Amino acid sequence: MSEEFNALLTVDDLHATVAGKPILNGLSLHVPAGEVHAIMGPNGSGKSTLAYVLAGRPGYEVSEGGATFEGRDLLALEPHERAAAGLFLGFQYPVEIPGVSYLQFLRESLNAQRRARGEAELSGGEFIKLARGQAEALGMDIEMLKRPVNVGFSGGEKKRAEMVQMGIMQPKFAVLDETDSGLDIDALRIVGEGINRIMRAPDKGVLLITHYERLLEHVRPDRVHVLQAGRITRSGNIELARDLEREGYAELA
Amino acid sequence: MTAPFPSRAQEEWRYADLDALKPVWEQVAEPVTLTVAAGENLEEMWLPVADDVQLRRVQLALGQQASARIFALNAAPVYGRIELEVSLSAGAEFELFAANIGTGLSTNEIVTRVRHLQPDGRSLQVIRSVLGGKAAGSYLGKVEVARGAQQTDAEQSVKAMLLDRGATANCKPELEIYADDVKCAHGATVGELDPVQLFYAQSRGLPPEEARALLLEGFVMGLCEGASDGDAIRTAARDALRRVV
Amino acid sequence: MNEAVKNRELKEKIAQDYEWGFVSDVEQEFAPKGLSEDTVRFISGKKGEPEWMLDWRLKAFRAWLEMEEVSWAKLDIPDIDYQDAYYYAAPKAKPKLASLDELDPEIRRTYEKLGIPIEEQKVLANVEGARKVAVDAVFDSVSVATTFRKELKKAGVIFLSISEAIREYPELVRKYLGSVVPQRDNYFACLNSAVFSDGTFVYVPEGVRCPMELSTYFRINAENTGQFERTLIVADKGSYVSYLEGCTAPMRDENQLHAAVVEIFAHEDAEVKYSTVQNWYPGDKEGRGGIFNFVTKRALCSGDRSKVSWTQVETGSAITWKYPSCILKGEGSVGEFYSVALTNNRQQADTGTKMVHIGANTRSTIVSKGISAGRSNNTYRGLVRVLPRAENVRNFTQCDSLLLGDKCGAHTVPYIEVKNPTATIEHEATTSKISEDQLFYAMSRGLDAESAVALIVNGFAREVLKQLPMEFAVEAQKLLGISLEGSVG
Repeated sequence: MSEEFNALLTVDDLHATVAGKPILNGLSLHVPAGEVHAIMGPNGSGKSTLAYVLAGRPGYEVSEGGATFEGRDLLALEPHERAAAGLFLGFQYPVEIPGVSYLQFLRESLNAQRRARGEAELSGGEFIKLARGQAEALGMDIEMLKRPVNVGFSGGEKKRAEMVQMGIMQPKFAVLDETDSGLDIDALRIVGEGINRIMRAPDKGVLLITHYERLLEHVRPDRVHVLQAGRITRSGNIELARDLEREGYAELA
Repeated sequence: MTAPFPSRAQEEWRYADLDALKPVWEQVAEPVTLTVAAGENLEEMWLPVADDVQLRRVQLALGQQASARIFALNAAPVYGRIELEVSLSAGAEFELFAANIGTGLSTNEIVTRVRHLQPDGRSLQVIRSVLGGKAAGSYLGKVEVARGAQQTDAEQSVKAMLLDRGATANCKPELEIYADDVKCAHGATVGELDPVQLFYAQSRGLPPEEARALLLEGFVMGLCEGASDGDAIRTAARDALRRVV
Repeated sequence: MNEAVKNRELKEKIAQDYEWGFVSDVEQEFAPKGLSEDTVRFISGKKGEPEWMLDWRLKAFRAWLEMEEVSWAKLDIPDIDYQDAYYYAAPKAKPKLASLDELDPEIRRTYEKLGIPIEEQKVLANVEGARKVAVDAVFDSVSVATTFRKELKKAGVIFLSISEAIREYPELVRKYLGSVVPQRDNYFACLNSAVFSDGTFVYVPEGVRCPMELSTYFRINAENTGQFERTLIVADKGSYVSYLEGCTAPMRDENQLHAAVVEIFAHEDAEVKYSTVQNWYPGDKEGRGGIFNFVTKRALCSGDRSKVSWTQVETGSAITWKYPSCILKGEGSVGEFYSVALTNNRQQADTGTKMVHIGANTRSTIVSKGISAGRSNNTYRGLVRVLPRAENVRNFTQCDSLLLGDKCGAHTVPYIEVKNPTATIEHEATTSKISEDQLFYAMSRGLDAESAVALIVNGFAREVLKQLPMEFAVEAQKLLGISLEGSVG
């Protein structure tokens, strides 16, 4: 009971549809501050839908239930307000924006968040310093961030860039949608270290949405949940993830 | 201007704001002729000025293996027209990166005629329009490939974005081709901002209007890459966009 | 051997170049040469038309006298002397035929030479799976015979020559004639409105799916006869009809004028598929003779969710000027245009489509494949227009040109005019030639040069050809190959 009061993120009986089709069918979940939770599930189970609903993507309709963040009604906030409140979504397929420089994009976004929170904005110089630091920590050349957003980036580079963003934004809660897909062993290790470095803190939380178990060896979850047909069917610890890896999702049915 | 006043029946003037042009027709200068000698390069930056009606008329002749690159921003408050006729000799290269940005009741148009007279020429025209209010933005671009101008490579990429109902985008990318061993292609799209890009930007903290402004800027700014002094045109474009969005 | 026979034999020898270039020797009846109000009255009288129809024609004729011939297309049109032609030529009026056996044997023989399956048995026997095709054969301005009428009548489908329709269903014709292409729309449509000789009328009642494909064959026979066909197709709510139009013509030395008008009116949820395989005489290698083909074809998608598809394969005519168009008025209505236009020798084609989006959620698709050979010129001219109140419009256009040889021309003139910000319009155009590699590959597998070119050209045109009903697709493929003869090497 007290767990729920400390919950950073609470999802309560969430029902959601995409293009009229029901995808989430009563999903409930709470992530206390200071914890990393993992969600695993077969394709089509609703993993990305959950991520998009939490981030507020148009086209994803909530028909029943709700979600709170730090006690506030999350679903009542616009996407940019959720960002300012400290929510970060790592996209499964990061979007390309030709013509817009990555650095400019991130600086303007960060400053918009800071303005909304009543914090001072960063100057150009201060921002580059911050960005450089985060990029280096994730093994990414700052030159890449002078390019247009994600244009010409490989799949793995896009995921890495998402983590650099996360380092720059310093969110309170990160929802990472299949961040490990497209990463080779080295990149996986670096990204894992990045997540641990940026998000492991008593007042932060992470929801790792993943198909494979391997990221969880780098970022040890406190809880693992299985998502099937739009709801959580099982919860456990890392052993559950290892069982799934060994036996597959069909076994659970 | 001694030439007779044009009429809408003439193809190159079909979208023009002739009412705005009439009072200033006398002052409109004859087309300027620019010649680029064989093997030489030319880069030009055409920025808008404060006048309500702005006409720029240029005839560009490229010698063999010569090259020219023009960056142009067409954002007149009432009527802006860029008229460009280019002729390419053997092996010449021509690139045009131009934008129409308009709001209110403005009419901005880019009218080009690129003539590949000899073999091995290459031309690229990238046109972007952002139109709000009841503005009109037009591109009429004719590419002519003469008989015998083999190995020509001609491309036109035209994209327009309308921000309000009442704004108009007109595109007429025309090809007249008399040689067969050529690569001539064009694409024209009119559409809205990509909603997924918009969501991505907002999810990073940008409020909707700022996200839109940033994406529109990107839509136009992509043109300026490669300019030797990009700042001037980038600033001018940003200012023009700010009036529209 | 008398002159007539000698002339005929000579002509048949010359006509070997053009498979269908021969002359029929049937009694004909001509209106006096030239074009005046009397000509219009003569035509109307011959057809026994009611007063209102004559008035309609006269109104058009008077308007035509004041109009100017069009000159904006990229065509080199020789001056047409409108007075130097016969505007009406019909076989002498015969009593109604109870069965095909009563058909004038000469006419019957003409159609057999053309390979037109006017006999029911032929149609059934030739087509596997027994897709029925009702044929309304037009022989120089008057419909001669109509088959399958009974079966269509059972379904409630009206499929008649337009002359018969004016007599039997005057209210229907009057309601829709000129509603899609007004008389004054353009010069040739106006002329057509005054002197149209015959054509087809189709009416499909509410909810009826026409049980067979409807088809009409044309033929221009008499010297100096302009062909002015008028077709009107009305598809009532929720109906479906597929209509095929295919033409051939004999060899001539004088240019012959063909100015047809086709109007399609589609109500709510109706669908009309209109396919054309056009093979008018293209003129000889030096550009002499040949048909001038100026056609106005337009569909009004008046009802919500109505749909009209135009599919055309154009290989004939000395000069072609046609823009099958769709006015997308009903919400959610759909317009499609699929075209293959092939020009060879000295042919000229200026063809394309106009899609006008008036209603919300309307969609249009345009696929145009132009093939130029010889010394010909082939132009695509199209318009996609989105009006301010048309929300959520989608258009996709693909125009590809293939040049065979370096003495022809391929041109693309697209107009895109958008006044609504929610529209998504995509237009792409490419120009290419047959690569040496492709040719070599095909020939290394045993094909001679001409067959290789025909194969590759058919591949280029495939996306359009597969839109045609089966009967036509085969004829179209053969036609492409035949039309390319002499273009290689």
